[in-house]
Amino acid sequence: MSEKPKNRVWARWVVLAAILLGLFLFFQFDLFGIKIGLGITPIMPHVYLPGEKLTETPLFGDFYITNTFVGLMLADLIVILIAIGVSRSVKSGKMVLTGISGAVEALLEMLYGITEGTAGKWTKQIFPWFATITLLVLAANWSGLIPGNETIGLIHEYEGHGYALEHFGPLTTIWDSGHAAAEGEAHGASYAVIPFMRPVSTDLNFTFALAVMAVLGIQYFGFKSQGWGYLTKFWNTKTLFSKPIFGFIDFGVGLLELISEFSKILSFAFRLFGNLFAGAVLIFVMGSLTKVFAPAMFYLLEFFVGLIQAIVFGMLTMVFMSQATQGHGGEHHEEAHA
Amino acid sequence: MEAEAAKLIGAGLAMIGAIGAGAGIGIVTSGAVQAMGRNPDATGTIQTNMILGIAFAEAVAIYCLVVALLILFVF
Repeated sequence: MSEKPKNRVWARWVVLAAILLGLFLFFQFDLFGIKIGLGITPIMPHVYLPGEKLTETPLFGDFYITNTFVGLMLADLIVILIAIGVSRSVKSGKMVLTGISGAVEALLEMLYGITEGTAGKWTKQIFPWFATITLLVLAANWSGLIPGNETIGLIHEYEGHGYALEHFGPLTTIWDSGHAAAEGEAHGASYAVIPFMRPVSTDLNFTFALAVMAVLGIQYFGFKSQGWGYLTKFWNTKTLFSKPIFGFIDFGVGLLELISEFSKILSFAFRLFGNLFAGAVLIFVMGSLTKVFAPAMFYLLEFFVGLIQAIVFGMLTMVFMSQATQGHGGEHHEEAHA
Repeated sequence: MEAEAAKLIGAGLAMIGAIGAGAGIGIVTSGAVQAMGRNPDATGTIQTNMILGIAFAEAVAIYCLVVALLILFVF
């Protein structure tokens, strides 16, 4: 336990050094005629909606390595490393988990509690979906907050409002590009940066694929709990002739349910993508407008948005799954058969 | 009118839809907070349902946002 205060002091010096570095880089003070600081003006990076291709030639077929793909690999790696770490610390026999394992335990306990409250006897089957989606999306969202994530990358010529290239001593071209972009002089050929990595949640392909998986999982639980009777939710002809007018209404409601299954895919996909992509653009804009302190506040905001969106994606999947297992209207006698 | 200007105006107009979502989220949260004040024991359930409601209301604003972003950066 004696290590803890030592750690804190160390972190305090790092934060102080970072603040001084930021002030030195982005501001210029005039102290009795001596200029202190570089006074770099931040630039607005280019916003690309699709993931940018990192390679000219496709890996196979029409498959390019995009920077969001690298982001997905990073998120997967983080989840796998956390899983290995947690399983190791569980096997070590400690009663109380500490560090990251403790945080993961607390998160999973919370998720399990929510699932138990909603799904009832299906908790054991539905919980893995909830936890998997939440953990992967959480890792993907938070990986976007790692510094250098969307700033370090390849330089390429860019038509339009690019920025001039500037060589900055014998340093690597990666830093060059960042520096050149920071200068913001658009004369001659203009250049832009393709970042090596972008959080995968800002790619519509990922969120759409995840949404399709989630909705297929919802249908799976519907069929598992109710058998083929689940289809009467969508094609409800049971009361079409027995009840005069309400039968038709029930039939129409069934068709609307079918449409709502497809709109679930769209709303899942666009909710995650919209939130995270807008967050990335927000950080771009704030980082280019203000210099040192304000972007940190928006990083904090994005931290919460990433957590909330990950939990919302998983929780909506879980709630829809438990709704699918509960049957619909007058199908209770079928559930009794199964 | 230049296409660039029309794009900017269109993106701004697309975000008008966020008004409804904002009002919706406010109503949901005010209802949930009142309910929690009356019955603090039910906070857990209310919070879950509140987040779900907010997510649904927010989705509409996100559609607007996606449309605005598409207008700005894709077309």
